Amino acid sequence: MTDQLGALTTIFTEFYYWVTVVLMFLIHVGFCMYEVGASRYKHHQHTLMKNTMLIPLVTVTWFFFGWWIYWAFPTGPGIAPSIMNESTALVTDESAFSATWYTATSELMAVNLGDHISGVFWAAFLLFSWTAASIVSGAIIERITTFAFGILAIAIGSVFWTIDAAWGWHFDGWMLKILGYHDAYASGVIHAIAGGFALGVLMVLGPRIGKFSSSGEPRNIGPRNPWLVTVGLFLIYTGFWGFYAACNIPIFDLGPEYGMEGISYWTATNIYVTPTTLSGITFNFLMSLSGGLLAGYWIAKGDPFWTYSSGLAGVICASAGNDLYHPIQAMIIGMIGVVIAYKLHYWVERKFKIDDAVGAVAVHGYAGFVGLVICGFVLNGYPSSGYSVGAMWDGTTYATINPLGQFLGAIIMFVVLGLIPGYIIAKVLNGMGRLRIPREVEIAGLDYEMMESAKEDEKAVSSATR
Amino acid sequence: MATVTNWIDHLNKPAEEVVGAVYPGAGSVEGILVIVGIILWVGWHVLTAKSESEELDRLARKRHSANDHKSNITDW
Repeated sequence: MTDQLGALTTIFTEFYYWVTVVLMFLIHVGFCMYEVGASRYKHHQHTLMKNTMLIPLVTVTWFFFGWWIYWAFPTGPGIAPSIMNESTALVTDESAFSATWYTATSELMAVNLGDHISGVFWAAFLLFSWTAASIVSGAIIERITTFAFGILAIAIGSVFWTIDAAWGWHFDGWMLKILGYHDAYASGVIHAIAGGFALGVLMVLGPRIGKFSSSGEPRNIGPRNPWLVTVGLFLIYTGFWGFYAACNIPIFDLGPEYGMEGISYWTATNIYVTPTTLSGITFNFLMSLSGGLLAGYWIAKGDPFWTYSSGLAGVICASAGNDLYHPIQAMIIGMIGVVIAYKLHYWVERKFKIDDAVGAVAVHGYAGFVGLVICGFVLNGYPSSGYSVGAMWDGTTYATINPLGQFLGAIIMFVVLGLIPGYIIAKVLNGMGRLRIPREVEIAGLDYEMMESAKEDEKAVSSATR
Repeated sequence: MATVTNWIDHLNKPAEEVVGAVYPGAGSVEGILVIVGIILWVGWHVLTAKSESEELDRLARKRHSANDHKSNITDW
């Protein structure tokens, strides 16, 4: 970098993403606290380690192949041509944003004085990957093996969510062109897919022992440490600020980007490189959070667990269009999402005997799905991209946002890339006898041996007088 | 292995030579590092899966009741 303004812009962008990564760490801290708070004492330590170990497992695989998938798959492949090279093949040529620069052996995937952005952008997406895997983690506590969860975490965190991000969360993604898909803050590309994936796993894994009576009536297994759950959810809220910021490009000149001769327009943009403002999305984040909390408190009759979760569900539901909504639209959409997610959770639990221990499928999956569908109606007619505007199904131009495209997009996220892969991988692991812990261990508690081995020391310490 | 041995000399080069990878062995070690990384990654899964299976089998054989763990808690 030899000119000061260019250097400032680049280093500001580098620092911006770096800060979002630090903030998003709090999401994972929150998820860990939340899960431990929701689990029973005899499972605490294994529950914590299960969620913690997804960090290295997803990170390493994200380095090896996850990031490459994001840049290689926007065309499908074979569905819509890339605007960079006009080919429908995997994007692995020499074009500017090709996956060829993001293989594990690339010199850009390391300390490189010519590249200040790849690492922080890679990390921002990686933190989304952790979130996707962590959403699944909460639903399946107290009965899954750590080995099976590791495989599932890699699948959702480094494969399936990154495919959906390439398809529907990339400026060149085929879902924008064919369907007019819009999902600015990841109602679908993180939350609906992770919720769907969790549901697929739960269908195979089965409920915790004692969750359902012999007549099939569900029993409530409430959080064992409500304070840990409370602080955990507050931390997730806090980390969500970083998540929202990381979904933006902080400073970008759209004039030359859109090919407008002689026009310079510096702005923040969303992930699709269309203009928005951090200021505007701050209104919407807080109003959708508030809508979720208001609706959750009402429908759950003041139950703290559901009220906190509903704040999150409110944000998740409005996230697809929070780059453009009015704050009151965001609030109302958040409220609608919460009511539907809450009702669906209990209906599915009773009807299909699904034991979602923390309501993850509802808060992330159902609220995300509903948010995508609502976005199709409220933002109907907006362009899905700034590069061009065209007809649905055309593929060479970008379709406008519309209800059908958003509904199909929601199906792709929740069912095609979420529920079906989750179900199939869980089936395979179950067939290998590696999915679920033995019944005897579930009854005794995963931490039994750990606690027993410390017993003599604990006894000595508790009776010690000096 | 050192890619840069003198920063003044390095930054005095033409711009296209200054910008680039500066980690040890840049341009020659990446393939080997990835292979080593994959071996470590797969190896970790194999080792931890084996030890988890042994732990679960051992505990399952003891057939503790749902409340036995409470006798292991001695102090709050």
